[in-house]
Amino acid sequence: MTQHFGRVICGGLFASAAMAGASSACELKIGVPAVLSGPAAQWGIALRGAVDFVAKETMEEGRLKIDGTDCAVSFVAIDSKYTAEGAASATNALAAEGIKVIVGPVGSPEVTGMKPVATRNGMVAMVNSFAKDSIGPKWPNMFHIGPGPSGWAGPIIDEGLKRFKFDTVAIVAPNDQGGTDIASVNAQIFKAKGVTPTEEYYQRGTTNFGPIVTRLLSANPGAIDLASTPAGDAGIIVKQLRQAGFEGPVFRLGGPGFEEIARVAGGVEVLKDFLWYEPVYRDENTKALDEKYKKLMGEERPENADFYRWTFAARMMVKAANAAGTVDDADKIAEAMRNLPVEDENIGKGHWIGQKFFGINQEMSYPFAIGVVQDGKVQPPIHAPAVAEG
Amino acid sequence: METFIATGLIGVSLGSQYALLALGFTLIFGILGVVNFAHGGFYVMGGYIAYYCSVVLGLPYALALVIASASTAAVGWLLENLILERVIDDHQATLMVTLGFNLIIATAVLVIFGAESPEFTFPIDGVWRSGGIYIPYANMVVLGVCLVAIALVYWLVYRSNVGRAMRAMAEDRAVASALGMRTKVLFPFAFALATGLCGMTGALVTPILALSPHVGDPVLAFSFLTVILGGLGSVTGATVAAFIVGLVDSYAAVYLGGSKGALTLFVLVLIILVILPQGLFGREVRRS
Repeated sequence: MTQHFGRVICGGLFASAAMAGASSACELKIGVPAVLSGPAAQWGIALRGAVDFVAKETMEEGRLKIDGTDCAVSFVAIDSKYTAEGAASATNALAAEGIKVIVGPVGSPEVTGMKPVATRNGMVAMVNSFAKDSIGPKWPNMFHIGPGPSGWAGPIIDEGLKRFKFDTVAIVAPNDQGGTDIASVNAQIFKAKGVTPTEEYYQRGTTNFGPIVTRLLSANPGAIDLASTPAGDAGIIVKQLRQAGFEGPVFRLGGPGFEEIARVAGGVEVLKDFLWYEPVYRDENTKALDEKYKKLMGEERPENADFYRWTFAARMMVKAANAAGTVDDADKIAEAMRNLPVEDENIGKGHWIGQKFFGINQEMSYPFAIGVVQDGKVQPPIHAPAVAEG
Repeated sequence: METFIATGLIGVSLGSQYALLALGFTLIFGILGVVNFAHGGFYVMGGYIAYYCSVVLGLPYALALVIASASTAAVGWLLENLILERVIDDHQATLMVTLGFNLIIATAVLVIFGAESPEFTFPIDGVWRSGGIYIPYANMVVLGVCLVAIALVYWLVYRSNVGRAMRAMAEDRAVASALGMRTKVLFPFAFALATGLCGMTGALVTPILALSPHVGDPVLAFSFLTVILGGLGSVTGATVAAFIVGLVDSYAAVYLGGSKGALTLFVLVLIILVILPQGLFGREVRRS
């Protein structure tokens, strides 16, 4: 009996020691609320792939050291379904796991849903979204991975006006915050460039855009802007626009997704004249990143170009944790982030902006590119400098 | 005027797609008394099988269409025989089984093919055009297939001995069995017919629109809406309702916009159901 009791005590002490050891081990756990289903899934897959890659890269190269000890990096991805409630629920689940560092989500409704939950649970986050209130003084630990259309739509419209003749545009987008915030900003910018805009919204979940296309074309627009319409929907709209006989240029002044849009539409030749926002300018450095991803992960990088932005964002989060000397104190990590230069080894240098638009200087800005298809042929992308404040 | 006519043609085209989907849905309810929540899943399955056969394996599209229809019918037959038949009298159990099967299909497709839409286009890509009026040839094919399918289903259900037997079983399974009708053969047959129709619709429509693991979700919603409007279990009701839904959807979206158009459709259906709770052809609703 005494022997048995002794074994239990020894076992308990051993377990306690093991648990104490485990809890003191340094591990940065990154929460990833990402849309992994539905027509916007391509964006979430790029986000998840980037965080997965950065976690492995950080550990492989010992990039995160706290008190001289190499830290592990892991991540938990939950489908945020491109809805506010989906993202809120995913963030709650991440908070329940004790996660303090978030990279994601992608869309405006998601960011709207996750911000209060993340703030309430003392998290620091690097979010996307092109909403007018993506970040702000109310959410001091929220950072933005890059400017919305207010920053880059102007140069793309200028490029379109240089190549094609049009003075009216019909902007089509979903009728929720993920669509209306972007479409209304795009409309203002088109107007400022002397192009008369009309806005048309549709119910998310629409599968056949035949009637919407007929309505769009009844106004006889010179150009169409797909704004932030998910890539799957955008592909159908372009296909049906061309079937209906629309000959003008099509803009995609929203999130990236050119490859999927072209596939769903039925090929680049169906796109005919098409301009879109590419979040980064692809050169030898981004090619090196592609190769590094392939070597480390054993597969090609996620197709969507948002992969680059999320890689930048996740690396910045690791750098901030490193500089702050903590993996779970969100306030310290946020403070360290504010003092970091906006710089990535593959994507280039930029700067913090956002004070004028959001009231808080927590938006990363770096060079981007303008993608062009003309006469059904993909043209070399055009390099555009980092957006300056204002 | 051209816009009005073009909108009507789009409405008919939409209606034919909804009719193909609603026929299978209403057949399963009308004969088996099962609300098939895996309907959208069979649509997705049909689309991906056709894609795999025609794009990955390089088979002719027509053959891919036949394989997709036959495969989804076979899966439906197995589902009914192996699982649903055991719980056929328990409405909650059939609902859970079909809902679960829908999730299994969506997840399997996601794992095998990934979340991104593949390039899958209809083999005929031209457009018939006259002034501002146009119809893609692909939509004409869908409309033609739809009319043939409606005629065949109508003949099968209302004019053939198999159909009479199925309707007798729908009325009273115990009495029909006592009279020698073989429920263990006819129920799986009806289920396979319905899922085969759904798979065929997926194989026909996804190359015209888009193919992804979750394109079945709105399909289920529209099938449900159409069948409830027509009267659950009524083949005639489902067909008429499908074209009404297609036309209202089209005209409302064109003249009121995408947001108000969707709202108009649901409000109209709501009003009709308040006046006719059994649906437009509700006399043929299956008696519980």
